[in-house]
Parts: sequence; C-alpha cells; structure tokens
Amino acid sequence: MAASISGYTFSSVCYHSANSNSDHEGFLLGEVRHEETVSISDTQISSSELLQVVEVHNHEPCAQLFSFYDYAGQVNEESLNRILKDRRKNVIGWYRFRRNTQQQMSFREQIIHKQLTQLLGVPDLVFLLFSFISTANNSTHALEYVLFRPNRRYNQRVTLSIPNLGNTSQQEYKVSSVPNTSLNYAKVIKEHGAEFFDKDGVMKDIRTIFQVYGALQDKVQSVCGEVEQSERVKEKVQEEVNKLKQQIVLRKRKTTDEERRLQEAQNPEPRLTPEENTEPPETSLLSRVAFHTPSTPERPGPSANPPAYADLLSLQNDSLLPFSSSPTSAALLPRPQAVGSPGHPSPSPLGLGLSAGPNPAPSPGTPYLGNGDGSSSDSLDRQAAGQEDDEEDDDDDSSEYENLVSEVGQLPPVSASVLLQGRPAALSPDGDASVRGSQT
Amino acid sequence: MSPEVALNRISPELRPLLCSVVRNGRVGLDSTNCLRVTDLKTGCTSLTPGPCCDRFKLHIPYAGETLKWDIIFNARDPELPPDFIFGEDAEFLPEPSELPHLVQWDAGDPECLLQLVKELIQQYHQYQCQRLRESSRLLFEYDSLLEDPNYSRSMEIYAGHKNSWTGEFSARFLLKLPVDFSNIPVYLLKDTTLDPGEDVALLSVSFEDAEATQVFPKLYLSPSIEHALGGSSALHIPAFPSGGCLIDYVPQVCQLLTNKVQYVIQGYHKRREYIAAFLSHFGMGVVEYDAEGFTKLTLLLMWKDFCFLVHGLCKRLVSKKLAKLLNLLPSLDQLSLAKYILSQSN
Repeated sequence: MAASISGYTFSSVCYHSANSNSDHEGFLLGEVRHEETVSISDTQISSSELLQVVEVHNHEPCAQLFSFYDYAGQVNEESLNRILKDRRKNVIGWYRFRRNTQQQMSFREQIIHKQLTQLLGVPDLVFLLFSFISTANNSTHALEYVLFRPNRRYNQRVTLSIPNLGNTSQQEYKVSSVPNTSLNYAKVIKEHGAEFFDKDGVMKDIRTIFQVYGALQDKVQSVCGEVEQSERVKEKVQEEVNKLKQQIVLRKRKTTDEERRLQEAQNPEPRLTPEENTEPPETSLLSRVAFHTPSTPERPGPSANPPAYADLLSLQNDSLLPFSSSPTSAALLPRPQAVGSPGHPSPSPLGLGLSAGPNPAPSPGTPYLGNGDGSSSDSLDRQAAGQEDDEEDDDDDSSEYENLVSEVGQLPPVSASVLLQGRPAALSPDGDASVRGSQT
Repeated sequence: MSPEVALNRISPELRPLLCSVVRNGRVGLDSTNCLRVTDLKTGCTSLTPGPCCDRFKLHIPYAGETLKWDIIFNARDPELPPDFIFGEDAEFLPEPSELPHLVQWDAGDPECLLQLVKELIQQYHQYQCQRLRESSRLLFEYDSLLEDPNYSRSMEIYAGHKNSWTGEFSARFLLKLPVDFSNIPVYLLKDTTLDPGEDVALLSVSFEDAEATQVFPKLYLSPSIEHALGGSSALHIPAFPSGGCLIDYVPQVCQLLTNKVQYVIQGYHKRREYIAAFLSHFGMGVVEYDAEGFTKLTLLLMWKDFCFLVHGLCKRLVSKKLAKLLNLLPSLDQLSLAKYILSQSN
C-alpha cells in the first residue's frame, strides 16, 4: 500500500494542529486507487502486482475534542454526519494530533477507529497520527507523522509520501498525482481553459504538433515514392550500361581473336608462352572469380610459388599493352572484398599472380570457390551483398560480381594480359586498397 | 520523580486527580509502594505559561512486573476523561462498558482516576488470564487455583509473550497468602522506619516454560513481617516439586509460613512467662528486664557477701532445659540458681 498527500493539504493539517492548544483531530478526504502492474521478464511469463494507493486530497478538522464520540468512545452517527455533511463518501481516514506522546494508537483511538470503519463502510480506513515532540528547553521541535492501517494485522504502518517535500535540488519538480479538488481552482481553470484546450479537452498545442507530424509523414511518404521511381530508372540505366559493357567485351574479344588469327597467320610457329599464358587464365579466371579473400594465399597448385613481381610485369608488358591504361578493363576485375572475410585482403591479386604460375592446379571445370577459410561458396553471395557500401570511384557496383560469375562461362579464353593488368601491386598480403579504392 | 515535583508541574485542574494517585494510590496485591509518576509532559503549545503538564507515565506494579501506561489528559479541557496507551501491550483493549469510572467520568471526584486505574488493572488481569489459554498446563494451574476460595480473589497473573524463536511461553503467578499476621506481637512490627502498610506475604511463582519444568518460586514479605520473622534468611521455602502443581504447593508454603508465625508468637509468649516467673521469684533482685520483648533480664544476687549480677539473654525461644528450670524455680535457692544459670549459659 502506498499513500500520498499533497503538500498543501499536509501543511494545512499541520497548521490547524500546531495552532490548537490541545489535541486535535479531523477527517481525511480523498480516494483509494488500485494500481496493477504487470511485469514481464525472461524468467516468467508475467507477474502482476496489485498496489493500493491512498491519496489524500483534503481534510476536515473537528472544532473540538469529543465532538462525535462520548466518554466511552461510542461514536454518534448524527454528529458524524453533521461534521462531514455530504463529504462523507470521500472519507478515507482520520487523523489525530497529540503533543509529546508515543507513536502508537491509544485506547480510545482504537475503539473509535473500529466504529468508524463500520459506520463509514471503508474497510481499509487509515489513521494518521501526528506527534509533536519538543525538547525540554524548547529548542528543538519535531513533527512526526505516521500513517496506520489498523485493520490489518501486519504491516500496519504505511509510508506517506509528500511530493516535492525533500531535496529537490537534484531532482526535478514533480507534478503530483494528487489532484486539486478545490472548487475555486476548478472554476478558474474552466474559465481560462479555452485558451489552452480545445473542445475535447486536449491541449491545443498537442493538436498542432500532431498536425506537423502528419505533414512530415506525408512528405516522407511522397519522397519514398520518388526514391522508388528514381531507383527504377537507375536500374534500367544500369541494365543498359551492363549490356553495353557486354557488347564492349564481345567486341574486344572479336578484335583479339582477329589479331591472334592475324598473328598466327603471320607467325606459324606455335607459341607456347602465349598459350601457357592463355590456358591458365581460364583457371586463373575461375580462381580469380572465386577469390573471396582467402586468408592465406591459396595457391591453386601444390607447387605454388608466388611469381615474382618482375614476371608479372613482364607478362603484362608482353601482351595487350593498349589495355593496360584503359580504366574499363580494371572494372572487370573483382574488387577487393574484405566483407565476409576475417580481415584478410582480397585474393584477387593472388589469383592473378598465381595464374602466371606454371601449374595452375584447378582444372577449368572445377571452379575454385574456396576462400581458404573453409567457408563455402556462399561467400560469393556475401560479397555480392557486401559490395554495396563500398565506395568506388568508378561505376562498379555489386552487380558486377554477378556479372563476372556469369562471365566465367563466357570468358574462358580471356588473355592473361587482360587479367594481369592493373593487379600486380595487389600481391602484398595486406591487399592494396589503393588499387581498388577500398578495403572494407 | 518525587510526588511533590509531579504535583507542582501538573496543571492545577488536574492536580487533585494526580494527588490521590501519588499519595494514596495503591493498586494490586503489592501495595507497599504507591504508584509512581514519570515523564510529565504538556499537550499545550510551548508558549503556554506553566504549570500546564497534562500527560504522564504511570508505573503500576503488577504480578512482579511494572506496567508503564501513558495517561493523556488535555489541560485545556480538564473535565474530559483521559486516554491511555498501554505500553507494550498493544493488544490489550478493554471494553469501555467494563469501566464504569470512564463511562461516568467525574472530573470533580479526586478518586476518579485511581478508581479507573483499578478497573483497568482488573481488565488487564482478565486479559492476561485469557492469554494463558496458549498453554494448557498453565491454564490448568489457573483454573485449579480459581476454584479455591482462598486464592481466587487475590491472584495476579502475568502471561509473558510467547518467544517466537523457541516457542516458549512463560507466566508468573503472584498470590497473596492467606496467613493471619494479626497476632504477631506489636513490638516486632514497629521496628521499621517507614510506614509498613499492610502486612502481606506474597508468593511469586514463575513458570519459565509452558510445561512447568522450570519453576521458580519466591516469597515476598512486607518489611515488618520480614523483620518479625527474623530477616530474609530466616525463612526458606521449599523448591517447587517437579511435576507438582500450584494447588498443592501453595498451601504447603502457606502452612510453612503459618507455622513460622506461630513459632514466633509462641516464643514471645513463652519468654514472657519465663521472665514473669523470674520476676515473681526474684522480685527484689531484678535490676532490669526487657519489658517489651522479654529478651533480657538482669538479676542482682548475693551469696555470702559476694554480690554478682546475672545477665540473662533469651534470644527467641525458650529451650526445653529452661522450661524445666521454670518448673523447678520455686524450690531453688539463690546460689543453686546462680550456679545453674552459669553452667547453662556456657
């Protein structure tokens, strides 16, 4: 049970009491609320606590002692009605003020309390006892107050809380839950309330704020629509771009094929190195595509010896020089993918480097999709998903991967030079973020 | 706080009521001392000029305990009856209809408060007897005593609180023993500095547990009786027999006390006879004798020009030898008597 009394009621009771030259008594008016708190925690489904809250709104002092009871402590109902009049139904308790006595209910108080409980029909009638203790030399006076509920057998004392009575320097000024039931107050509020409240009793400010909120929401909704549309347009444009890229690639292939035929026509000797270079590119392309940032440089071949930088350069220099400077070719290469990897650099350069080795282990038929961690091919999806937040200067985006994967089947004969260019610097274990712009 | 101080500080309208309490207030079986008043406080504002005290604590002896009850008046309305706080006995709630002096409170009657307190004590006694119900053994003791008319009226019972840890329940019975002290010679009684009050012997029996395995009896005598019987060491009561009950034990103690009283009375009479016999025989030779207690006698005797004084001291009782002497007195002459007394006094 909790009890609260407003500060002004409490001070009014104290004022009446302290100014009386004898014991003083009166009635407490208010209401009793029942609060149920349902708490849900992990350990149990729900637990509900029922709390009875007693609120004291007002008090009715008695003018003199023995005004509604006689010497034997017998309560006279007529006198009671005369004192309370129509406030009888609001009575939730009574109080007594005694100086220099113990904080205990006296004999007569107990007898009266029992009768009041029955007469007023309040089963949990409370009794507020004030005692005023003064030291012998009247230097210190203490006003003590205790709220009893004598009809209970245990826990008879209830703490009475007075909002904002205490140290408010560190706390905010609280709005009391105890309402003000004064008639004058209600009148004034009614008169001037129209300026603040609308016809439903809701504060006008609240309505305006809600309107602002509504407007903002509408705006956001319309912007959403616009964003959706622009996204669709962007998608279309992207598709077109991809198509164009494919066409470029095809054209390049055509031109390279033509050139090769021309060369072959000119040089009938078989050239191993270019073939060697071309063969592994198939596998190396696969391994490259499957790169997924292996933690350790997984060599496709057991005899993996990372080729020297010079070799790569020489390879690069040998072939397809005109492509080395083209930025679009760089766009073909997969971006370094740190997302999904345990902080390891992109494998793409390794794949590239390895492709220059003599024995590329994985056969073209078996795409090397492992990334060295033991994780499986779902890393592809991971990368594809994670690519979106990579800031790229060029217009690569996540869809590039998917394109590349699909390109695997399409581009097996791509030349090593195409693959190699732009990637040699990425051999360092940390990955060269500068090459691709980011290492997420 | 002495009664005078209390009477000075209390509000003038309430003074007569308090006067009868502190001066003549004797409540209960143990009435050797008057009721005591402490913690005199006021219910008026501190600006009220004194004396204006109207509330105090009253100490009431009951069944070997001292009850401390708060009595609350209002100096502003002295005609109103007081309120009470019964100290630790928070559950004691007497029925107002059983307190006629509360219902018809008359502030003009100085005895009203005292009578009200007596009525409250009666109700308190009833309340304690009710509490004995927690132990069937003790209830049995109480009921058996109640049936005996000797003790039913003069009993005070204090039922202690049940010890919640051990479940032990203790009680104390205070009984006034119906022993007649009226025949005790006056001289024995008057040797006390204070007003002795009523002569009373109280037997207090403490039951430390509900099964009556630990019982401690104690006998309280009013000072004059104690002196008459020869001091606190003179009387030893028997221990409470284990398995016994009060209805058997109390008459035992009563009898013991009665016997002792008889013993004292008899001794007194015997000594008086003894001295009287000496006086009648040696009437001229008596120098002095204790005319009240008959404990001392001095004779001046002469034999062949040899004069000597014989001091006789008779403590309490006359022994058999001296009784024999009394029978032989008429036939003895002075010398043989002197020789005999000398030989006997060693």
